[in-house]
Amino acid sequence: MGKETKQYDRPSGWRNTQPIQRESITVQHFYDATRERFRLTLLAGGEGLANLITDKSLHRPGLALAGYVGLFTYHRIQIFGNTEIFYLRSLTLEEKIKAFSTLASFSIPCIVVTSSNGLDPELLAICDERKIPVFETKFETTKAVYFLSDFLEDQFNPQTVIHGAFVDVYGVGVLFVGRSGIGKSEVALDLIERGHRLVADDVVMVTQKGESILMGAGTDLVRHFMEIRGLGLINVREMFGIRAIRFQKRVEVIVELEEWHADGEYTRTGLDESTAQILGVDIPHVRLPIVTGKNITVIAEVIALNYLLKHYGYDASREFATKLEQVLLKKGGEKVSRGDRVIPYFEHDFE
Amino acid sequence: MIHRTVTIKNRAGLHTRPAAAIVKLASKFQSEFYIIKEGFRINGKSIIGVMTLAAAQGTPIELEFDGPDEEQAMKEMVEYFEKGFEEEI
Repeated sequence: MGKETKQYDRPSGWRNTQPIQRESITVQHFYDATRERFRLTLLAGGEGLANLITDKSLHRPGLALAGYVGLFTYHRIQIFGNTEIFYLRSLTLEEKIKAFSTLASFSIPCIVVTSSNGLDPELLAICDERKIPVFETKFETTKAVYFLSDFLEDQFNPQTVIHGAFVDVYGVGVLFVGRSGIGKSEVALDLIERGHRLVADDVVMVTQKGESILMGAGTDLVRHFMEIRGLGLINVREMFGIRAIRFQKRVEVIVELEEWHADGEYTRTGLDESTAQILGVDIPHVRLPIVTGKNITVIAEVIALNYLLKHYGYDASREFATKLEQVLLKKGGEKVSRGDRVIPYFEHDFE
Repeated sequence: MIHRTVTIKNRAGLHTRPAAAIVKLASKFQSEFYIIKEGFRINGKSIIGVMTLAAAQGTPIELEFDGPDEEQAMKEMVEYFEKGFEEEI
């Protein structure tokens, strides 16, 4: 018995995840990934495309242009908005070159000029010489900063790999975890058969987005392949078609499949909500003991529907508890309800 | 829990046949088995997981064993890696 308890107490392997944090991306990668989306054109400094971007923040170098370079965060992408451009335009050519040279003497990864403002040929020449790529976008600064920050955040946010099956059930991202061989893939397959959509099986890449959002996706190599023990590998997309898959989904509920333990504490009312952490983000967590005669697939659907109900403001366990309280209060000391029928009198209804 | 670092020895790398053999060997044991490569930590009992690693010849990878028979599992697994998956080195 001691052994059983020990195994049960040991945190399952899926929890010991290691965050993978990207330390840098090349300007080339940044350019390739964003040129079409953000309409970037390269104006100068093409030789510096191997420069590294190491920070997800952006910087407006207004003060550095004006000559104050204390605390200048030169390692960030430098955004030249209207302020910077109009300031430069207010200077004589000589002053302009001097101001810009000060800035360009730092190892800047790249410069983005917004609102199609362009940059003087003399300044572009400095960038060529210093190997600082200069991009131009037609978007105005606010929009450009929003787009670029979102892209950089996505690239630099912590990621991790979770061993599990990830399915979109009624629009809710349900991540099944548990020891290998417990039947995660089989549950996923069953859900696909019932019209739900597979995001990834076995290798789920989870990326943090913002403070409290986790996005899950498969890896490029695996896509929508699945291993079903006894059968081998199957391709869900080929077999069930496009409606059975999706590329990414927010992780909203973790369902942990485990063997039934008589001494395990499973929630009975659902009032005590438990959570599990991935990358430091708390996600609702349901421990589902597997016992004979239990249809995990249907329960998974109910978990998803229950999540949706709660999301839209309805909590069954709370409602039941409230109803009970009302009954107790109403009848007070006189007579406690022994569980009255829904319909007090059946009349002549014998159906 | 025990950790061991090994390198891929055979020329063809960790392709389908050795991946399947690793999973088969790992499944013999009760212990949990994880393989870690460049921060990617995947379950060594999952064929898709192991193939995802796409580990070429010379790649260092870390093996993690955790469970009642971890010593034996580690011994047999490390031996299989050391042999270059019984392939041309």
